[in-house]
Amino acid sequence: MSDVGFGETALPQRQKETLAKAIRLEWITIGFLAVTVTLVFLVLGNSQAMKAAWIEDLLSFIPPIVFLIAVRLARRKPNPKHPYGFHRSVGVGHLVAAVALVTMGTFLIVDSGSGLIMGEHPSIGSVELFGQVFWLGWLMMGVMALIALPPVFIGRAKMKLARELHDKVLYADADMNKADWMTALGSMVGVGGIGLGLWWADAAAALFIAGSILKDGLKNARAAVEDLMDTRAMTFDDAKPHPIVHKVDEYLRALPWVADAGSRARDQGHVFHIESFVVPRSRRKVSLADVEAAREGARALDWKVDDIVIIPVKELPRVVEESHPAKSERSRR
Amino acid sequence: MMSRIRSKIAIAALAVALGLTGCATTFPADPEGTLDRVSGGTLRVGISPNGEWTQMTDDGEASGIEVDLVEEFAGSIDADIAWVEGSEERLMTQLEEGSLDLVIGGLTDQSPWSDRSAITKPFTEVTTSTGLEKHVMAAPMGENAFLLELERFLLNTEGAP
Repeated sequence: MSDVGFGETALPQRQKETLAKAIRLEWITIGFLAVTVTLVFLVLGNSQAMKAAWIEDLLSFIPPIVFLIAVRLARRKPNPKHPYGFHRSVGVGHLVAAVALVTMGTFLIVDSGSGLIMGEHPSIGSVELFGQVFWLGWLMMGVMALIALPPVFIGRAKMKLARELHDKVLYADADMNKADWMTALGSMVGVGGIGLGLWWADAAAALFIAGSILKDGLKNARAAVEDLMDTRAMTFDDAKPHPIVHKVDEYLRALPWVADAGSRARDQGHVFHIESFVVPRSRRKVSLADVEAAREGARALDWKVDDIVIIPVKELPRVVEESHPAKSERSRR
Repeated sequence: MMSRIRSKIAIAALAVALGLTGCATTFPADPEGTLDRVSGGTLRVGISPNGEWTQMTDDGEASGIEVDLVEEFAGSIDADIAWVEGSEERLMTQLEEGSLDLVIGGLTDQSPWSDRSAITKPFTEVTTSTGLEKHVMAAPMGENAFLLELERFLLNTEGAP
Protein backbone atom coordinates (compact mmCIF):
# COMPACT_ATOMS: atom_id res chain seq x y z
CA MET A 1 0.00 0.00 0.00
CA SER A 2 3.06 2.24 0.15
CA ASP A 3 2.42 3.84 -3.22
CA VAL A 4 -1.23 4.65 -2.51
CA GLY A 5 -1.87 8.24 -3.34
CA PHE A 6 -3.46 10.62 -5.76
CA GLY A 7 -1.03 11.55 -8.51
CA GLU A 8 2.15 13.00 -6.96
CA THR A 9 0.38 13.35 -3.64
CA ALA A 10 1.22 10.64 -1.17
CA LEU A 11 -1.68 10.09 1.20
CA PRO A 12 -1.15 10.26 4.95
CA GLN A 13 -1.59 6.92 6.72
CA ARG A 14 -5.06 7.83 7.96
CA GLN A 15 -6.36 8.73 4.50
CA LYS A 16 -4.76 5.60 3.05
CA GLU A 17 -6.82 3.51 5.44
CA THR A 18 -9.92 5.56 4.68
CA LEU A 19 -9.43 5.05 0.96
CA ALA A 20 -9.01 1.29 1.43
CA LYS A 21 -12.21 1.26 3.51
CA ALA A 22 -14.09 3.28 0.91
CA ILE A 23 -13.00 0.93 -1.86
CA ARG A 24 -14.14 -2.06 0.21
CA LEU A 25 -17.49 -0.39 0.97
CA GLU A 26 -18.10 0.37 -2.70
CA TRP A 27 -17.47 -3.27 -3.59
CA ILE A 28 -19.91 -4.28 -0.85
CA THR A 29 -22.40 -1.81 -2.34
CA ILE A 30 -22.00 -3.33 -5.80
CA GLY A 31 -22.52 -6.83 -4.36
CA PHE A 32 -25.58 -5.71 -2.44
CA LEU A 33 -26.99 -3.97 -5.52
CA ALA A 34 -26.50 -7.09 -7.64
CA VAL A 35 -28.67 -9.03 -5.18
CA THR A 36 -31.22 -6.21 -4.92
CA VAL A 37 -31.58 -5.71 -8.66
CA THR A 38 -32.08 -9.45 -9.19
CA LEU A 39 -34.65 -9.75 -6.39
CA VAL A 40 -36.65 -6.73 -7.51
CA PHE A 41 -36.52 -7.87 -11.13
CA LEU A 42 -38.01 -11.23 -10.15
CA VAL A 43 -41.07 -9.58 -8.57
CA LEU A 44 -41.34 -6.59 -10.91
CA GLY A 45 -44.81 -7.39 -12.26
CA ASN A 46 -46.79 -4.58 -13.81
CA SER A 47 -46.21 -2.01 -11.08
CA GLN A 48 -44.83 1.27 -12.37
CA ALA A 49 -43.53 2.14 -8.89
CA MET A 50 -41.60 -1.13 -8.76
CA LYS A 51 -40.19 -0.41 -12.21
CA ALA A 52 -39.06 3.04 -11.08
CA ALA A 53 -37.46 1.60 -7.94
CA TRP A 54 -35.73 -1.06 -10.04
CA ILE A 55 -34.33 1.53 -12.44
CA GLU A 56 -33.12 3.57 -9.51
CA ASP A 57 -31.34 0.48 -8.18
CA LEU A 58 -29.78 -0.07 -11.60
CA LEU A 59 -28.60 3.56 -11.66
CA SER A 60 -27.13 3.12 -8.20
CA PHE A 61 -24.46 0.96 -9.81
CA ILE A 62 -22.99 3.99 -11.57
CA PRO A 63 -21.57 6.01 -8.64
CA PRO A 64 -19.68 3.09 -7.02
CA ILE A 65 -18.27 2.04 -10.40
CA VAL A 66 -17.34 5.64 -11.23
CA PHE A 67 -15.68 5.96 -7.83
CA LEU A 68 -13.64 2.80 -8.27
CA ILE A 69 -12.49 3.83 -11.75
CA ALA A 70 -11.79 7.42 -10.69
CA VAL A 71 -9.62 6.57 -7.68
CA ARG A 72 -7.66 4.16 -9.87
CA LEU A 73 -7.12 6.77 -12.58
CA ALA A 74 -6.36 9.54 -10.10
CA ARG A 75 -3.41 7.52 -8.79
CA ARG A 76 -1.54 7.94 -12.05
CA LYS A 77 1.33 10.35 -11.87
CA PRO A 78 1.27 13.55 -13.90
CA ASN A 79 3.20 13.28 -17.16
CA PRO A 80 4.12 15.71 -19.95
CA LYS A 81 0.82 15.08 -21.70
CA HIS A 82 -1.20 15.41 -18.49
CA PRO A 83 0.76 17.95 -16.45
CA TYR A 84 -2.01 18.35 -13.88
CA GLY A 85 -2.36 14.62 -13.31
CA PHE A 86 -5.59 12.68 -13.54
CA HIS A 87 -7.49 14.06 -10.59
CA ARG A 88 -10.21 15.45 -12.80
CA SER A 89 -11.33 11.89 -13.52
CA VAL A 90 -13.39 12.32 -10.35
CA GLY A 91 -15.17 15.35 -11.80
CA VAL A 92 -15.77 13.65 -15.12
CA GLY A 93 -17.19 10.60 -13.35
CA HIS A 94 -19.36 12.83 -11.22
CA LEU A 95 -20.80 14.50 -14.31
CA VAL A 96 -21.42 11.19 -16.10
CA ALA A 97 -23.28 9.81 -13.07
CA ALA A 98 -25.35 12.99 -12.78
CA VAL A 99 -26.34 13.01 -16.45
CA ALA A 100 -27.45 9.37 -16.18
CA LEU A 101 -29.66 10.29 -13.23
CA VAL A 102 -31.18 13.28 -15.00
CA THR A 103 -31.93 11.23 -18.12
CA MET A 104 -33.57 8.35 -16.30
CA GLY A 105 -35.43 10.64 -13.91
CA THR A 106 -36.92 12.54 -16.84
CA PHE A 107 -37.77 9.35 -18.70
CA LEU A 108 -39.54 7.91 -15.66
CA ILE A 109 -41.51 11.10 -15.04
CA VAL A 110 -42.81 11.04 -18.62
CA ASP A 111 -43.44 7.28 -18.46
CA SER A 112 -45.28 7.37 -15.12
CA GLY A 113 -47.04 10.64 -15.85
CA SER A 114 -48.48 9.32 -19.12
CA GLY A 115 -49.70 6.19 -17.29
CA LEU A 116 -51.47 8.41 -14.81
CA ILE A 117 -53.04 10.61 -17.49
CA MET A 118 -54.12 7.63 -19.61
CA GLY A 119 -55.66 6.08 -16.51
CA GLU A 120 -53.78 2.82 -16.89
CA HIS A 121 -54.85 0.35 -14.24
CA PRO A 122 -51.87 -1.78 -13.17
CA SER A 123 -52.57 -5.52 -13.00
CA ILE A 124 -50.83 -7.61 -10.39
CA GLY A 125 -51.77 -11.26 -10.32
CA SER A 126 -50.79 -14.27 -8.28
CA VAL A 127 -47.55 -15.99 -7.48
CA GLU A 128 -47.01 -19.58 -6.46
CA LEU A 129 -44.37 -20.07 -3.82
CA PHE A 130 -43.81 -23.18 -1.67
CA GLY A 131 -47.11 -24.63 -2.90
CA GLN A 132 -49.06 -21.54 -1.84
CA VAL A 133 -50.85 -19.25 -4.25
CA PHE A 134 -50.97 -15.66 -3.06
CA TRP A 135 -51.01 -12.11 -4.36
CA LEU A 136 -47.71 -11.04 -5.97
CA GLY A 137 -48.10 -7.61 -4.36
CA TRP A 138 -47.32 -9.10 -0.94
CA LEU A 139 -44.04 -10.45 -2.29
CA MET A 140 -43.21 -7.07 -3.86
CA MET A 141 -43.78 -5.24 -0.59
CA GLY A 142 -41.82 -7.89 1.31
CA VAL A 143 -38.82 -7.57 -0.99
CA MET A 144 -38.88 -3.77 -0.80
CA ALA A 145 -39.10 -3.87 3.02
CA LEU A 146 -36.13 -6.23 3.07
CA ILE A 147 -33.89 -4.03 0.93
CA ALA A 148 -34.98 -0.66 2.32
CA LEU A 149 -32.62 -0.28 5.25
CA PRO A 150 -29.15 -1.70 4.46
CA PRO A 151 -28.30 1.12 1.98
CA VAL A 152 -29.03 3.69 4.68
CA PHE A 153 -26.33 2.24 6.92
CA ILE A 154 -23.90 1.81 4.04
CA GLY A 155 -24.61 5.42 3.05
CA ARG A 156 -23.91 6.74 6.52
CA ALA A 157 -20.61 4.90 6.66
CA LYS A 158 -19.61 6.21 3.23
CA MET A 159 -20.50 9.78 4.18
CA LYS A 160 -17.81 9.82 6.88
CA LEU A 161 -15.23 8.49 4.45
CA ALA A 162 -16.24 11.01 1.78
CA ARG A 163 -15.51 13.84 4.19
CA GLU A 164 -12.04 12.56 4.99
CA LEU A 165 -11.11 11.80 1.40
CA HIS A 166 -12.73 14.95 0.05
CA ASP A 167 -14.35 12.81 -2.62
CA LYS A 168 -17.49 14.22 -4.20
CA VAL A 169 -18.47 11.08 -6.09
CA LEU A 170 -18.37 9.14 -2.85
CA TYR A 171 -20.38 11.92 -1.24
CA ALA A 172 -23.03 11.84 -3.98
CA ASP A 173 -23.20 8.07 -3.70
CA ALA A 174 -23.55 8.18 0.08
CA ASP A 175 -26.20 10.87 -0.17
CA MET A 176 -28.25 8.75 -2.60
CA ASN A 177 -27.88 5.62 -0.47
CA LYS A 178 -29.07 7.49 2.58
CA ALA A 179 -32.28 8.47 0.81
CA ASP A 180 -32.80 5.00 -0.65
CA TRP A 181 -35.34 3.92 1.94
CA MET A 182 -37.71 6.58 0.58
CA THR A 183 -37.70 4.81 -2.77
CA ALA A 184 -38.41 1.46 -1.14
CA LEU A 185 -41.17 2.93 1.00
CA GLY A 186 -42.57 4.78 -2.02
CA SER A 187 -42.89 1.60 -4.04
CA MET A 188 -44.43 -0.20 -1.05
CA VAL A 189 -47.04 2.55 -0.78
CA GLY A 190 -47.64 2.27 -4.55
CA VAL A 191 -48.15 -1.49 -4.47
CA GLY A 192 -50.17 -1.23 -1.26
CA GLY A 193 -52.33 1.35 -3.04
CA ILE A 194 -52.98 -1.08 -5.89
CA GLY A 195 -54.00 -3.64 -3.29
CA LEU A 196 -56.52 -1.20 -1.88
CA GLY A 197 -58.02 -0.69 -5.33
CA LEU A 198 -56.41 2.73 -5.82
CA TRP A 199 -55.03 2.24 -9.31
CA TRP A 200 -53.48 5.74 -9.40
CA ALA A 201 -51.41 5.17 -6.24
CA ASP A 202 -48.86 3.15 -8.21
CA ALA A 203 -48.21 5.79 -10.86
CA ALA A 204 -48.21 8.51 -8.19
CA ALA A 205 -45.59 6.61 -6.17
CA ALA A 206 -43.57 6.09 -9.36
CA LEU A 207 -43.72 9.84 -10.03
CA PHE A 208 -42.43 10.49 -6.52
CA ILE A 209 -39.51 8.11 -7.06
CA ALA A 210 -38.80 9.56 -10.52
CA GLY A 211 -38.85 13.04 -9.00
CA SER A 212 -36.27 12.06 -6.41
CA ILE A 213 -34.03 10.56 -9.11
CA LEU A 214 -34.29 13.75 -11.17
CA LYS A 215 -33.59 15.89 -8.10
CA ASP A 216 -30.46 13.88 -7.30
CA GLY A 217 -29.38 14.17 -10.91
CA LEU A 218 -29.82 17.94 -11.13
CA LYS A 219 -28.11 18.53 -7.80
CA ASN A 220 -25.14 16.41 -8.82
CA ALA A 221 -24.96 17.80 -12.34
CA ARG A 222 -24.81 21.27 -10.89
CA ALA A 223 -22.09 20.34 -8.42
CA ALA A 224 -20.07 18.49 -11.08
CA VAL A 225 -20.30 21.33 -13.60
CA GLU A 226 -19.32 23.87 -10.95
CA ASP A 227 -16.20 21.87 -10.14
CA LEU A 228 -15.29 21.45 -13.79
CA MET A 229 -15.78 25.21 -14.17
CA ASP A 230 -13.12 25.71 -11.47
CA THR A 231 -15.45 27.24 -8.94
CA ARG A 232 -13.54 28.04 -5.78
CA ALA A 233 -12.76 24.93 -3.76
CA MET A 234 -15.67 23.96 -1.57
CA THR A 235 -16.05 21.39 1.19
CA PHE A 236 -16.89 17.82 0.12
CA ASP A 237 -20.64 18.51 0.42
CA ASP A 238 -20.45 21.90 -1.35
CA ALA A 239 -21.83 23.50 1.81
CA LYS A 240 -19.18 26.19 2.25
CA PRO A 241 -15.83 27.36 0.86
CA HIS A 242 -13.10 24.95 1.89
CA PRO A 243 -11.32 26.33 5.00
CA ILE A 244 -7.88 25.18 3.86
CA VAL A 245 -7.61 27.98 1.30
CA HIS A 246 -8.10 30.57 4.00
CA LYS A 247 -5.54 28.76 6.17
CA VAL A 248 -2.97 28.94 3.40
CA ASP A 249 -3.55 32.70 3.06
CA GLU A 250 -3.18 33.20 6.81
CA TYR A 251 -0.03 31.15 6.89
CA LEU A 252 1.52 33.16 4.06
CA ARG A 253 0.48 36.50 5.54
CA ALA A 254 2.14 35.57 8.82
CA LEU A 255 5.52 35.12 7.14
CA PRO A 256 7.93 37.97 7.97
CA TRP A 257 8.71 38.83 4.35
CA VAL A 258 5.08 38.88 3.22
CA ALA A 259 2.97 42.01 3.32
CA ASP A 260 -0.18 40.49 1.87
CA ALA A 261 -1.24 37.22 0.29
CA GLY A 262 -4.24 35.80 -1.52
CA SER A 263 -4.86 32.46 -3.22
CA ARG A 264 -7.16 30.95 -5.72
CA ALA A 265 -7.73 27.22 -5.47
CA ARG A 266 -9.43 24.80 -7.77
CA ASP A 267 -10.68 21.46 -6.69
CA GLN A 268 -9.01 18.91 -8.91
CA GLY A 269 -10.93 16.15 -7.17
CA HIS A 270 -9.38 14.97 -3.89
CA VAL A 271 -6.51 17.48 -4.08
CA PHE A 272 -6.39 21.20 -4.71
CA HIS A 273 -4.35 23.11 -7.18
CA ILE A 274 -3.54 26.41 -5.48
CA GLU A 275 -2.05 29.57 -6.90
CA SER A 276 -0.93 31.84 -4.10
CA PHE A 277 -0.07 35.44 -4.86
CA VAL A 278 2.18 37.14 -2.33
CA VAL A 279 3.11 40.81 -2.05
CA PRO A 280 6.58 41.07 -0.44
CA ARG A 281 7.21 43.81 2.12
CA SER A 282 8.68 46.86 0.47
CA ARG A 283 12.44 47.10 0.14
CA ARG A 284 12.84 43.50 1.06
CA LYS A 285 14.49 41.19 -1.37
CA VAL A 286 12.70 37.93 -1.90
CA SER A 287 15.08 35.02 -2.04
CA LEU A 288 14.45 31.74 -3.71
CA ALA A 289 14.85 30.08 -0.33
CA ASP A 290 12.00 32.21 1.09
CA VAL A 291 9.61 31.17 -1.62
CA GLU A 292 10.68 27.56 -1.37
CA ALA A 293 10.22 27.56 2.41
CA ALA A 294 6.79 29.17 2.10
CA ARG A 295 5.77 26.51 -0.38
CA GLU A 296 6.91 23.68 1.89
CA GLY A 297 5.18 25.32 4.85
CA ALA A 298 1.89 25.59 2.99
CA ARG A 299 2.13 21.99 1.83
CA ALA A 300 2.59 20.85 5.40
CA LEU A 301 -0.78 22.35 6.33
CA ASP A 302 -2.86 19.64 4.69
CA TRP A 303 -2.38 16.71 2.34
CA LYS A 304 -4.78 18.29 -0.13
CA VAL A 305 -2.38 21.23 -0.53
CA ASP A 306 0.18 19.55 -2.69
CA ASP A 307 0.25 21.28 -6.01
CA ILE A 308 0.83 24.86 -4.91
CA VAL A 309 2.66 27.62 -6.74
CA ILE A 310 3.77 30.82 -5.05
CA ILE A 311 3.88 33.90 -7.18
CA PRO A 312 5.44 37.11 -5.84
CA VAL A 313 3.52 40.11 -7.23
CA LYS A 314 3.41 43.86 -6.77
CA GLU A 315 -0.26 43.85 -5.88
CA LEU A 316 -2.87 41.15 -5.49
CA PRO A 317 -5.02 40.32 -8.52
CA ARG A 318 -8.61 41.52 -8.21
CA VAL A 319 -10.18 38.06 -7.77
CA VAL A 320 -8.12 37.00 -4.81
CA GLU A 321 -8.34 40.48 -3.33
CA GLU A 322 -12.12 40.17 -3.27
CA SER A 323 -12.00 36.90 -1.41
CA HIS A 324 -9.94 38.60 1.31
CA PRO A 325 -11.63 38.05 4.68
CA ALA A 326 -11.79 41.78 5.44
CA LYS A 327 -13.39 42.57 2.09
CA SER A 328 -15.35 39.42 1.49
CA GLU A 329 -18.14 40.46 3.87
CA ARG A 330 -19.19 43.07 1.34
CA SER A 331 -18.91 41.01 -1.78
CA ARG A 332 -20.38 37.77 -0.43
CA ARG A 333 -23.49 36.81 -2.38
CA MET B 1 -32.96 18.89 9.65
CA MET B 2 -33.39 17.04 6.36
CA SER B 3 -33.66 13.73 8.17
CA ARG B 4 -36.37 15.12 10.44
CA ILE B 5 -38.45 16.13 7.42
CA ARG B 6 -37.83 12.72 5.90
CA SER B 7 -38.92 10.84 8.99
CA LYS B 8 -42.07 12.96 9.10
CA ILE B 9 -42.82 11.95 5.51
CA ALA B 10 -42.23 8.32 6.46
CA ILE B 11 -44.55 8.46 9.44
CA ALA B 12 -47.26 10.18 7.40
CA ALA B 13 -46.96 7.62 4.58
CA LEU B 14 -47.15 4.73 7.02
CA ALA B 15 -50.16 6.25 8.75
CA VAL B 16 -51.95 6.70 5.42
CA ALA B 17 -51.08 3.13 4.37
CA LEU B 18 -52.28 1.65 7.65
CA GLY B 19 -55.40 3.82 7.68
CA LEU B 20 -56.34 2.75 4.19
CA THR B 21 -55.66 -0.91 4.97
CA GLY B 22 -58.16 -0.62 7.80
CA CYS B 23 -61.07 0.26 5.53
CA ALA B 24 -60.47 -2.21 2.68
CA THR B 25 -62.68 -5.27 2.67
CA THR B 26 -60.62 -7.42 0.31
CA PHE B 27 -56.94 -7.17 -0.38
CA PRO B 28 -56.16 -6.78 -3.21
CA ALA B 29 -59.35 -4.94 -4.16
CA ASP B 30 -60.81 -4.22 -7.62
CA PRO B 31 -60.92 -0.52 -8.56
CA GLU B 32 -64.13 -1.24 -10.55
CA GLY B 33 -65.47 -3.93 -8.21
CA THR B 34 -65.57 -6.75 -10.79
CA LEU B 35 -65.30 -9.70 -8.40
CA ASP B 36 -68.03 -8.32 -6.12
CA ARG B 37 -70.35 -7.75 -9.07
CA VAL B 38 -69.92 -11.14 -10.76
CA SER B 39 -70.01 -13.22 -7.56
CA GLY B 40 -73.60 -14.42 -7.36
CA GLY B 41 -74.31 -12.35 -10.49
CA THR B 42 -73.46 -12.57 -14.18
CA LEU B 43 -70.01 -13.15 -15.64
CA ARG B 44 -69.85 -11.57 -19.10
CA VAL B 45 -67.41 -13.66 -21.14
CA GLY B 46 -66.18 -12.71 -24.60
CA ILE B 47 -65.51 -15.78 -26.73
CA SER B 48 -63.56 -15.86 -29.96
CA PRO B 49 -63.86 -19.29 -31.64
CA ASN B 50 -60.51 -21.05 -31.87
CA GLY B 51 -60.41 -24.81 -32.57
CA GLU B 52 -60.70 -27.20 -29.66
CA TRP B 53 -60.28 -24.36 -27.14
CA THR B 54 -63.38 -22.34 -27.90
CA GLN B 55 -66.32 -23.17 -30.17
CA MET B 56 -69.65 -21.50 -30.74
CA THR B 57 -72.68 -23.01 -32.51
CA ASP B 58 -75.05 -20.89 -34.62
CA ASP B 59 -77.65 -20.93 -31.85
CA GLY B 60 -75.21 -19.54 -29.26
CA GLU B 61 -74.09 -22.76 -27.57
CA ALA B 62 -70.47 -22.47 -26.31
CA SER B 63 -68.16 -25.46 -25.95
CA GLY B 64 -64.48 -26.32 -25.80
CA ILE B 65 -61.66 -26.80 -23.27
CA GLU B 66 -61.65 -23.18 -22.16
CA VAL B 67 -65.42 -22.98 -22.06
CA ASP B 68 -65.47 -25.91 -19.64
CA LEU B 69 -62.89 -24.15 -17.45
CA VAL B 70 -64.83 -20.87 -17.44
CA GLU B 71 -68.05 -22.67 -16.58
CA GLU B 72 -66.36 -24.40 -13.68
CA PHE B 73 -64.88 -21.08 -12.51
CA ALA B 74 -68.27 -19.38 -12.76
CA GLY B 75 -69.71 -22.19 -10.67
CA SER B 76 -67.05 -21.65 -8.01
CA ILE B 77 -68.14 -18.03 -7.52
CA ASP B 78 -71.81 -18.79 -8.06
CA ALA B 79 -72.08 -16.76 -11.27
CA ASP B 80 -74.17 -17.18 -14.42
CA ILE B 81 -72.41 -16.73 -17.75
CA ALA B 82 -73.45 -14.38 -20.55
CA TRP B 83 -71.49 -15.38 -23.68
CA VAL B 84 -70.58 -12.69 -26.21
CA GLU B 85 -69.09 -13.88 -29.49
CA GLY B 86 -66.75 -11.69 -31.52
CA SER B 87 -63.33 -11.21 -33.03
CA GLU B 88 -60.41 -10.91 -30.62
CA GLU B 89 -59.92 -7.22 -31.32
CA ARG B 90 -63.58 -6.42 -30.84
CA LEU B 91 -63.71 -8.39 -27.59
CA MET B 92 -60.54 -6.75 -26.26
CA THR B 93 -62.04 -3.32 -26.91
CA GLN B 94 -65.17 -4.32 -24.99
CA LEU B 95 -63.00 -5.71 -22.18
CA GLU B 96 -61.19 -2.36 -21.99
CA GLU B 97 -64.46 -0.45 -22.00
CA GLY B 98 -65.68 -2.55 -19.11
CA SER B 99 -68.57 -4.26 -20.92
CA LEU B 100 -66.89 -7.69 -20.60
CA ASP B 101 -65.31 -9.40 -17.58
CA LEU B 102 -63.24 -12.05 -19.33
CA VAL B 103 -62.07 -12.95 -22.84
CA ILE B 104 -61.16 -16.45 -24.04
CA GLY B 105 -60.20 -17.72 -27.48
CA GLY B 106 -57.18 -20.02 -27.32
CA LEU B 107 -54.95 -17.07 -26.34
CA THR B 108 -51.33 -17.80 -25.46
CA ASP B 109 -48.83 -15.94 -23.32
CA GLN B 110 -47.38 -14.57 -26.58
CA SER B 111 -50.62 -12.65 -27.09
CA PRO B 112 -50.16 -9.08 -28.34
CA TRP B 113 -53.08 -8.01 -26.11
CA SER B 114 -51.00 -7.82 -22.92
CA ASP B 115 -51.01 -4.00 -23.11
CA ARG B 116 -54.76 -3.83 -23.11
CA SER B 117 -55.74 -6.64 -20.76
CA ALA B 118 -54.48 -8.54 -17.73
CA ILE B 119 -53.15 -11.81 -19.13
CA THR B 120 -53.48 -14.66 -16.62
CA LYS B 121 -50.75 -17.09 -15.73
CA PRO B 122 -50.71 -20.02 -18.20
CA PHE B 123 -53.19 -22.71 -17.18
CA THR B 124 -51.97 -25.33 -19.63
CA GLU B 125 -49.14 -26.02 -22.04
CA VAL B 126 -49.33 -27.88 -25.34
CA THR B 127 -46.66 -28.67 -27.88
CA THR B 128 -47.69 -27.85 -31.42
CA SER B 129 -45.86 -27.80 -34.74
CA THR B 130 -44.79 -24.20 -34.00
CA GLY B 131 -43.43 -25.00 -30.55
CA LEU B 132 -44.62 -24.83 -26.96
CA GLU B 133 -47.88 -22.93 -26.48
CA LYS B 134 -48.82 -21.64 -23.02
CA HIS B 135 -52.53 -20.94 -22.86
CA VAL B 136 -53.93 -17.96 -20.99
CA MET B 137 -57.15 -15.97 -20.53
CA ALA B 138 -57.59 -12.19 -20.57
CA ALA B 139 -59.10 -10.31 -17.63
CA PRO B 140 -59.74 -6.55 -17.37
CA MET B 141 -56.71 -4.41 -16.52
CA GLY B 142 -56.17 -3.71 -12.84
CA GLU B 143 -59.09 -5.76 -11.47
CA ASN B 144 -56.70 -7.54 -9.18
CA ALA B 145 -59.12 -9.27 -6.81
CA PHE B 146 -60.88 -10.83 -9.81
CA LEU B 147 -57.55 -11.69 -11.46
CA LEU B 148 -56.24 -13.33 -8.30
CA GLU B 149 -59.48 -15.34 -7.84
CA LEU B 150 -59.32 -16.52 -11.46
CA GLU B 151 -55.62 -17.41 -11.29
CA ARG B 152 -56.15 -19.29 -8.02
CA PHE B 153 -58.86 -21.33 -9.73
CA LEU B 154 -56.77 -21.95 -12.85
CA LEU B 155 -53.66 -22.95 -10.88
CA ASN B 156 -55.68 -25.39 -8.77
CA THR B 157 -57.13 -27.08 -11.85
CA GLU B 158 -53.83 -26.91 -13.75
CA GLY B 159 -53.22 -29.60 -16.32
CA ALA B 160 -56.90 -30.54 -16.31
CA PRO B 161 -57.43 -30.74 -20.09
